[in-house]
Amino acid sequence: MATFFEQVSEMGVKQAIITKADDVVERLTAGMNISDIRSALRGDEPRRPNPRLRPHADSFWFHIRPSFYHTEVTHIYPTFRLGWLSTFMFVWETITGIILMVFYTPSPLVAYDNMWNILSNVPLGQLMRNMHRLGAEVMVLVVALHMLRTFITGSYKKPRQFTWATGVILLTLTALLSFSGYLLPWDQLAYWALTVFLSGAEAAPAPAEFNANVLLILQGAPSLGAGGLLRWYLFHVLLLPLITAIFFFVHYYKVVLYGISLPPGREEIGEDTAKRVPKNERTYFTPDILTNELMWTALTTLFLVAGALWFWDAPLEHHADPIVTPLHVVAPWYLSWSQGWLKLADKTIVIGFIPLLIVMFLVMPYVEVGKSRRYADRRVGLTVASLFFAFMLISNWMGTPEFRVASSPELEVAQEIMPQEGANVLLGVPYEYLDTGLYVPGEEIPDNPYLTRALEEFEAAMQNHSCVLNGNPDMPRQGIWDDCRILDGERYGNGFGDNAMPDPYATLRITVEQANMKRLTLHFEVPDPNNPGELLVDSGDSIYAFRHEGSFYEEECRFLNKDC
Amino acid sequence: MQVKVVIGTIAFMLTMIILGYAALREPERLEHFSAASEGRSIETGAKLYYDNCATCHGVDGKAQECYDAAGNSISCQGLPLNSYFLVCGDTPARLEQTLFEGTKVQFIERTVSAGRNGTAMIAWSERYGGPMRDDQVKNVAAYVLNFANEEFCAEEPISFNWPDAYEDLLTLETEDFVAAPGDPENGAAVYTSFACNSCHGNVDEAGSNQIGPWLGDIAEVGATRVEGQTASQYVYHSILYPNNFIAPDCATGPCVGPPSAMVQDLAFRMSTNPQDMIDLLAYLVGE
Ligand code: HEM
Repeated sequence: MATFFEQVSEMGVKQAIITKADDVVERLTAGMNISDIRSALRGDEPRRPNPRLRPHADSFWFHIRPSFYHTEVTHIYPTFRLGWLSTFMFVWETITGIILMVFYTPSPLVAYDNMWNILSNVPLGQLMRNMHRLGAEVMVLVVALHMLRTFITGSYKKPRQFTWATGVILLTLTALLSFSGYLLPWDQLAYWALTVFLSGAEAAPAPAEFNANVLLILQGAPSLGAGGLLRWYLFHVLLLPLITAIFFFVHYYKVVLYGISLPPGREEIGEDTAKRVPKNERTYFTPDILTNELMWTALTTLFLVAGALWFWDAPLEHHADPIVTPLHVVAPWYLSWSQGWLKLADKTIVIGFIPLLIVMFLVMPYVEVGKSRRYADRRVGLTVASLFFAFMLISNWMGTPEFRVASSPELEVAQEIMPQEGANVLLGVPYEYLDTGLYVPGEEIPDNPYLTRALEEFEAAMQNHSCVLNGNPDMPRQGIWDDCRILDGERYGNGFGDNAMPDPYATLRITVEQANMKRLTLHFEVPDPNNPGELLVDSGDSIYAFRHEGSFYEEECRFLNKDC
Repeated sequence: MQVKVVIGTIAFMLTMIILGYAALREPERLEHFSAASEGRSIETGAKLYYDNCATCHGVDGKAQECYDAAGNSISCQGLPLNSYFLVCGDTPARLEQTLFEGTKVQFIERTVSAGRNGTAMIAWSERYGGPMRDDQVKNVAAYVLNFANEEFCAEEPISFNWPDAYEDLLTLETEDFVAAPGDPENGAAVYTSFACNSCHGNVDEAGSNQIGPWLGDIAEVGATRVEGQTASQYVYHSILYPNNFIAPDCATGPCVGPPSAMVQDLAFRMSTNPQDMIDLLAYLVGE
């Protein structure tokens, strides 16, 4: 081969550069030169021998992709792009995660400060954090939906049983990845979610000594602390991604090996023709699948960036405090079903049932060996699956805070409008609208829509937890409350539940605490109907929150996942 | 085919535009979050303050209104934290007085963390056996320093120019202040309203002192402390300059210091009504 200088003297500078560029591109693409790429993008017929197939032999990244697909599986149905999307999310999480790693140290002394540093000091840090956290939740959803679709289209059946089994492991790993990241901000949300989760280990159906050791390994010390955080950090950034990558490649190798299954109606029962693709039904990877994937990459990125910027916000609560248990510890939604189950059955049974369920999923395709993938022939299987799906949805709902064990009604009211953690209606009132004074629920404050709205929410919360017994002259607008149902002489019910305050009196007091900070005090008084003159509840000044001028809670209230 | 390329390109460009927009608003957003970070630290500090510190340092850090856990009013044992001399300026007077080298943040964090020997101020940091984590110590300090706002620190609070010799105070006649003969009855009230009794006990009851020396016999003992000082001169100087002489007879043995555990800014706080000093001495020493 002539050197570049020889070419220059032979054909002039311009032509030599063009030839050289062509040469470089061909090496990079492992087989396609510039005009091949242009013709592929235009959608022309390839020249012979087809240069678009060479990368599949010579390039690493192309050789792990098939050179063509059956045209039937390139449409939205049957894959819904969910397997591809799962892969995309895994890569997405890896990239955003590596960026976050730069600003994070897994130590209880600084982890929480690191989060605030990412938010307040790292350019685009909040966006990066939101994208990673949103991505984690989207990934769980996408992988679960992918599983649902491979079940519905019967793609787990012979010969793809092993693909399904590795998939089950991947789903478990995805949930663990998501959840292990949950602890890292080291805030109250993180700390208590993991503490509750780990307490499950103690209840596992195994010898107590074994359980105690598992717990010790998982939290690094008798209680969750520096050692535990380091371990979960290492799970999250090292062990779990590594295992996930390994299983992903096994999974994907099997997908390529057997080909993506055709829509069930397209084949004879019991046949698998995915790999026997007639010439006229082939869709080549280059250019069709490739451009398709690039388009979806661009679109998904757009959705995730826009979502993380404008619609969704990663939560950050107060610093983790092992001594202060929050009123309601909430599991992330994708594990809510387990909290729901705890309300149905004994803890040991639930903890024992989960691994059993995973094993059942693993072996399912080896046990369910019905030949037909057609929907009409799988009525029993699809019905069982739908019932299971419904059961999971209901369990999840039961695990959310709406379905919870209530504490005392006045604390519930406080929890609804001014919880210890998270953005809320009262703190969400912009600072300059927090006029000092004494207010009652539902009061309308002229020229102050924010405070008025907060007091409306106060009224709504009161309505949920109050009832009218004899009436309370100090409380305007109690007409909207239900009448009390007397339960056992001590407790009272209303239309919302069995734990209501009879004739309560409630106020919100806003006072100046420091020149740039106000104090919001909720006060509740409930007269004791059985001992006139006595109070059943007198919260005094004990329920309060501070609101600093700069705290900026109102900003949080704009997002879909924060209600205030 | 072409459609896919077009859609993909548009989506890519939109993403870039959004990122560009996000980058442009970053400076403002970072500023907001810095303020939020600090504001929330102060809020958390305020909660910690009321849970741990207010029993001694009082409501609003003024060391005037203190309540025990049951809500009963008690005398405040701590120094006022809402004080010009603790929080205002780069090197507040309190730092100089205690010979502290460092910033006021460090001063407060250090005092909270390690406590003050010989006083009711314990070491609060987990590192020294107390209950608070590092982040909590930081939050409390942020709350205390948040008393320093422009208005509060605009000018030094009026402070009386105490004459060095007690005799001069007794005969002082200026535009704002004319000394009157001491009134022991008001002196007794001053003794409790400035919470002297919380450390020095009840003057009628020997041994009732909690921390500092018992003052029931100060009229005699005071004259023996510093050569050349009468009992009134000695008490007067002990209030003005608590660290100059460390008494040998605190509640649990010799007093520690300097700096003394004695309240450091009593003279400053009496500035609003210097007659209180004369009445207090009339009550204690009886001249
Ligand atoms: C990190 C998680 C996962 C990734 C990255 C992943 C990736 C993929 C990809 C790229 C495909 C190609 C076809 C398609 O897009 O549908 C696929 C197919 C498949 N996946 Fe997954 N998957 C994951 C989890 C799962 C799970 C949880 C299951 C089920 C338990 C599963 C079972 C299957 C099966 C049976 C196929 C073959 C489908 C067919 O041939 O039609 N995968 N997977």
